[in-house]
Amino acid sequence: MQIKNSTSHYGIISIFIHWIMALLMIGLIILGLYMVNLPINAQKLKLYGWHKELGILVIFLAIFRLFWRIIDTAPTLPAHMPWFQKFAAHAVHYAFYGFMFALPISGWMISSAAGLPVSFFGLFVLPDLVSTNEPLRLLLQEVHEWLGYGLILAIVGHMGAALYHHFVYKDDILRRILP
Amino acid sequence: MRILFSLIFLWVTTTAWAQIPTWKIVPDQSNIIFTATQNNAPISGKFNTFAGEIHFDANQLNESKAHIMVDISSINTSYQAIADTLKTADWFDVKNFPKAEFKTNKIAKLNSNKYQVDGSLTILNKSKPQSLSFELVENTKDKVKIQGNFSIKRTDFGIGKGEWSGTDEVADEVKVNFTFVLIPVALALS
Repeated sequence: MQIKNSTSHYGIISIFIHWIMALLMIGLIILGLYMVNLPINAQKLKLYGWHKELGILVIFLAIFRLFWRIIDTAPTLPAHMPWFQKFAAHAVHYAFYGFMFALPISGWMISSAAGLPVSFFGLFVLPDLVSTNEPLRLLLQEVHEWLGYGLILAIVGHMGAALYHHFVYKDDILRRILP
Repeated sequence: MRILFSLIFLWVTTTAWAQIPTWKIVPDQSNIIFTATQNNAPISGKFNTFAGEIHFDANQLNESKAHIMVDISSINTSYQAIADTLKTADWFDVKNFPKAEFKTNKIAKLNSNKYQVDGSLTILNKSKPQSLSFELVENTKDKVKIQGNFSIKRTDFGIGKGEWSGTDEVADEVKVNFTFVLIPVALALS
């Protein structure tokens, strides 16, 4: 198992980051969808706390992931793929990078606008990105929510395509992101 | 002779007491801000309505005293849902306990303009001894400005009951910062 990627297979760093972030982001979606419907109680506050901490963890991982993506090679897409499929694949992957920054940052802004700063697992408190502002908070909530729906769509498309490649094209696309 | 001395004594003590200026708080230049900790991060709010009966003279601390009354239902946070929750029965229960108060027992000077107060704080009808310190920022015969702070343990008073009595999500310690601008009562009445 290589640390870095090759032209035909992902290395252990990329594989680890991919799956840990997939787990995190799917977990955050489920947590987010569940927690917003709770009445104000101690459980809601606890879940919001987890959602915020894990969301900031996503930003840190995403920064590292972006750095790794830039310095490492990316495996080439299979030759049999037509240009529009390659375009769609790249577009969704770019979209993922967008989501993995835009979602946590918009969430961080919601916390700032609400006057409820974010603590990273009790280690430090993040600075507020904006000052407390109720109309802005409501707007950011909408933005964060719809980015979330967009992410869900991207995940469904991404997983669907991966399974399609694996079971229909029977190519290496899914195998090469597995250890 | 004894009657004369008694009268002189009475006159001296009453005038001495009467020389302690009485002050009133100027609301729009004063504030009471609390900072609690939620999920390891700070959250602040304020009490908008409060009043005080204050007798203060920096040179007569033994005769100085204050009684501050806070309208708990005037609690306010930037995110309204929090203020609304804090008014409910599990928290400040404002329907049953609309007021909190602080009464001084002793005021002592620490150094050039810092003072230490020992008093009694009453929240949710529970009274506990409370010390605080304040800085005398301005002290003229027409205006006094003090800034001070103290900390409480919210569970000492039962602030946050039931599921909120655990201190993981909302910490026990709450810091209170206050700024009072005081003007003499006579000036206030005019």
